[in-house]
Amino acid sequence: MSYTQRETPILAELCTFLVGDVYGELAARVYSVLARHGRQSLAAIARASYLNGRQIKYGLVILLQQHLIFHSGNDGPLTYYEIDWENSYGIVRFGKVTKLVEDRYGPKAANVMSNLLALGHTRIADLKEAYFPPETDSGDESDDGATNGAGSKRKRTNGAGVNGSAKTNGVANGIPSELDAAKPHTSDLVNGDGQPNGVHKPSKVDRLTHNAAPEEPGRDQGDSDMTSVDELYNLIQRLIEHGWIRTVTETQYLSPGDIHDMLYQESIEQDNHGITPTGAKDKETVNRGTLRRKRAMRDEWSSVPTFVRRGRANGSNKRIKTNGAAGGSAASSASSSDDDLVIRVNPEKIAVAMRTEQLVHLVQQRLGSVTARVYQTMLRMLESQTPRCWDEWSEPSDEPSAENGVDLRFLVTARDVATKLSRDRDLDMLEGLDPNVAVQITRKGHVSRTNVWTQPTDPSKLSLEEKTKAVDKHIQMLAEDPFHFVTWHSRAGFSQWHIEFGEIAKQMIQNEVENTVAAKKGSLGVKLIRALKKKGKLDERATCNVMMMSAPDIRGVVNDLTLQGFVQTQEIPKHDRREAKTSLHFVWYDRQRAREKLLHDTYKGMVRILQRIAYEREKVQFLLTKAERSDVVGNEEKWLSKGELDALRKWKEVQEKLLLQLFREDDLVATLRDFHGPLVSA
Amino acid sequence: MASAVASFPAPKDEPAVDADEVVSPAEALYDKCAQRPAGQIFFQRDLSNMQVAETITQLTSILQELCDRHLLKLMTLEGEPCWKLRSRSDADKLRRLTPDERLLYHHIDQVQAEGIWSKALRGRTNVTQQTLTKCLKSLESKDLVQSVMSVKFPNRKMYLLKHLKPSEDIAGGPWQSEGDFDVALIDTISGIVAQHIENETCIKVPGNWNDYEQAIAQKKAAVQGMRDMEDLAPAVKPYRPRRDPNTSRLVHRNAPQYPTAASVADWLNSKEILRGKFVREEDMEQLLEMMVLDNRLEKISGTNYRTVLTATDTKVYNGFADAPCGNCPVFDLCGDEGEISARTCVYFGQWLETESEEI
Repeated sequence: MSYTQRETPILAELCTFLVGDVYGELAARVYSVLARHGRQSLAAIARASYLNGRQIKYGLVILLQQHLIFHSGNDGPLTYYEIDWENSYGIVRFGKVTKLVEDRYGPKAANVMSNLLALGHTRIADLKEAYFPPETDSGDESDDGATNGAGSKRKRTNGAGVNGSAKTNGVANGIPSELDAAKPHTSDLVNGDGQPNGVHKPSKVDRLTHNAAPEEPGRDQGDSDMTSVDELYNLIQRLIEHGWIRTVTETQYLSPGDIHDMLYQESIEQDNHGITPTGAKDKETVNRGTLRRKRAMRDEWSSVPTFVRRGRANGSNKRIKTNGAAGGSAASSASSSDDDLVIRVNPEKIAVAMRTEQLVHLVQQRLGSVTARVYQTMLRMLESQTPRCWDEWSEPSDEPSAENGVDLRFLVTARDVATKLSRDRDLDMLEGLDPNVAVQITRKGHVSRTNVWTQPTDPSKLSLEEKTKAVDKHIQMLAEDPFHFVTWHSRAGFSQWHIEFGEIAKQMIQNEVENTVAAKKGSLGVKLIRALKKKGKLDERATCNVMMMSAPDIRGVVNDLTLQGFVQTQEIPKHDRREAKTSLHFVWYDRQRAREKLLHDTYKGMVRILQRIAYEREKVQFLLTKAERSDVVGNEEKWLSKGELDALRKWKEVQEKLLLQLFREDDLVATLRDFHGPLVSA
Repeated sequence: MASAVASFPAPKDEPAVDADEVVSPAEALYDKCAQRPAGQIFFQRDLSNMQVAETITQLTSILQELCDRHLLKLMTLEGEPCWKLRSRSDADKLRRLTPDERLLYHHIDQVQAEGIWSKALRGRTNVTQQTLTKCLKSLESKDLVQSVMSVKFPNRKMYLLKHLKPSEDIAGGPWQSEGDFDVALIDTISGIVAQHIENETCIKVPGNWNDYEQAIAQKKAAVQGMRDMEDLAPAVKPYRPRRDPNTSRLVHRNAPQYPTAASVADWLNSKEILRGKFVREEDMEQLLEMMVLDNRLEKISGTNYRTVLTATDTKVYNGFADAPCGNCPVFDLCGDEGEISARTCVYFGQWLETESEEI
């Protein structure tokens, strides 16, 4: 089974919560059936739930639109549905994604991303129309009688989900036919009654013309308003090129198991002449073939489509003509072939960006802010070339020598970093360095006995050469750190470095395990974990020797950590009589086990936080309903009593605190789960 | 070093004669030897120079007598016989031993500070287990031998003479006393070593080390304005914390001589902090490795160590450990509903300062 598709009951609970929170009760009900029963057909879902067929189909459409479930395609006699755990969990990262994109590409790109997240996969044309409505759309925007009662942002998401699904049939090319058949019913459902999902849009929205969510994406954006269609197209293209957005193809709807079966068969037919492999060598060939096909398929997902640039500047008309694209007119109302492209957010890239953020944070804690800034620059330079943190389908590594040469694209030179950083005049490049280095770089003055530079120099007036030298020193500090944040490669361009993400990710996992143990058991627990990690299996006496402590001092912490599942114990009898007295008793630490245990605990902690939010909301539910009345909104001071206002403020504080903690736990999940594949313990 | 050799089949040439003085020559010789510094080793020429015995034959017989009475101990140094004095009380004790006990004592004596395992002792002497246990017990009660738990083999009892200090092989290195780690000593020494390594690898940089703003005197007013702005909105310039001349920060030295186990051991030995104990390179490596586990040092390359520095003072763990669930004693019992759940959680209540559901 695919590593990322193994689900635990607690993850199922967490994801059901998230789905319910964002997409409403119906979707969550269908989702929870799939979560509890695993891969199911439509009929089986109907049997396992109290919902009727139409409701289920409707729920499935929402889930499919958001890529929360896989389906087995239209080929088989029966379509099976299966949860996509990674994407489901990804719901918790929506806010973070917007922030990450904003930091890198500005508020407008962030706005596009947040719309894509809200809408699920979207045709470019729909996105365009969302920004530039072709006619005056009378979708009444203020009408959101949400039952979910969350902040306004979440309500918007709710509505978008519904709207998107209403016309999914036209948009997505991957909806199974049995749901297609339910198309008219679906639309009835949207406009009809008994819809638990909150926002309804009037049916004026013409489904067949794929009128995208009349949801007003630009409503609360202020200065991030999109000024022209071209700007939107450029942004989308840039995001696709950098791997943040990918095009949707039908294979993305297949679960990893289905993909494997399909490509395995293909590999058998093409690599092994259609004979099921029996020998070890044949199996090897076919497995390799399968992996190769998987990689090829995945690369195809993220390949940049050839964009037909329209009306970009003068002379572009000519190119359009040459390209022979549909709709030669440069007018923004015309449609081009790009418009049928369906795009969605690429979840793998999110993990890459999160890794960057966390590494920078780690460096900031260990080496200081300026070094962190240097590292951030290096990482961001590499980011656009890094499609994912780790490759699930990588070539089996029996020939590592071929990989030894580092791809030139993954090298960063000190000069590049210095050039980028020299634009920032506020950055004191010499901070965090040994003063002697500053002297060495500038060749001015010397360092007094109190370590004060005798010839102070304004860091912003350093020449590029000097800055490069300073950057190089910062990079050397990164390289010397036990984390080995960077690795030296060659002398070209002052100094050329690459980053061994795999090794760093392993250490980050270890670091988080140690942090957790430190919080629970103090430094003694960390010492034990580190000792066991370094030495392997130890009996009591050897443990004492390594830690230089007496046995009674250690026993307690060994016991506690064993109970919490961070270390394991083992008893090996010496004689066949298995006397406890003569047996050997070992303690050991397994990174992968500790990692999964901590991941599991973190999921559980997240569930508890969501439950607590629900409970806290329940307590102020009445007040919230009042505060959300249309006559109260905006006039809170006027209609609410002081006590009510205080309670409202307290609720906001509590919610904020809990959500912040939730996002921090998500950071931990990213470190533990997304940055590195399964660790095979040595 | 004089190595002990069998004192039993001592050369015996002639029977003792001419011993009709008031003080026997044997006693006289013993007294003369006792006047010398304790622990001295006597060769035949030293003894004949004492002019107690008139002839070599007489000297031999006197020595034989003293050996028989356990007042002297015969040893050899580079093939030459030599003798060492025993105290009268020790000799007295030895005289009262049974032959079995004496045999065992002799073997224990031979191994000196290394000690001998009771099983090995039995193998060498061929006595029965009961005799062995009985004799060892009586030797111990007579304060002639001591038993020590081996550090290498914790279930082995090693025997050695009472007055000897167990060697490092069985009692452990300088960090151990009586078979256990001397925690107080280790704490003190590791503190000293940590300070030493910090001095070697880090440099304390005052906040105003590069005080170019002060240096430009005419721009002082402007500088003042800038400072004010920084005070008001520090978040705007996240990469430029205020320079306070009174604060200082430790940073790693540029290309220092990183200490190794050998260099630190040399330094510690030269300082003579551990009185009477010599710290070998292995002992120091053990200590340094332990400090790495303790997160006080970090390993730079195969053998080099340096101090662990953190840029921030506040300790944050991670999203999970900082939440109430991370340290919850009943985390494993906590369910979706029931007596222990998110609704009823007292820890969430404390953390958020809100009321939890009463059970």
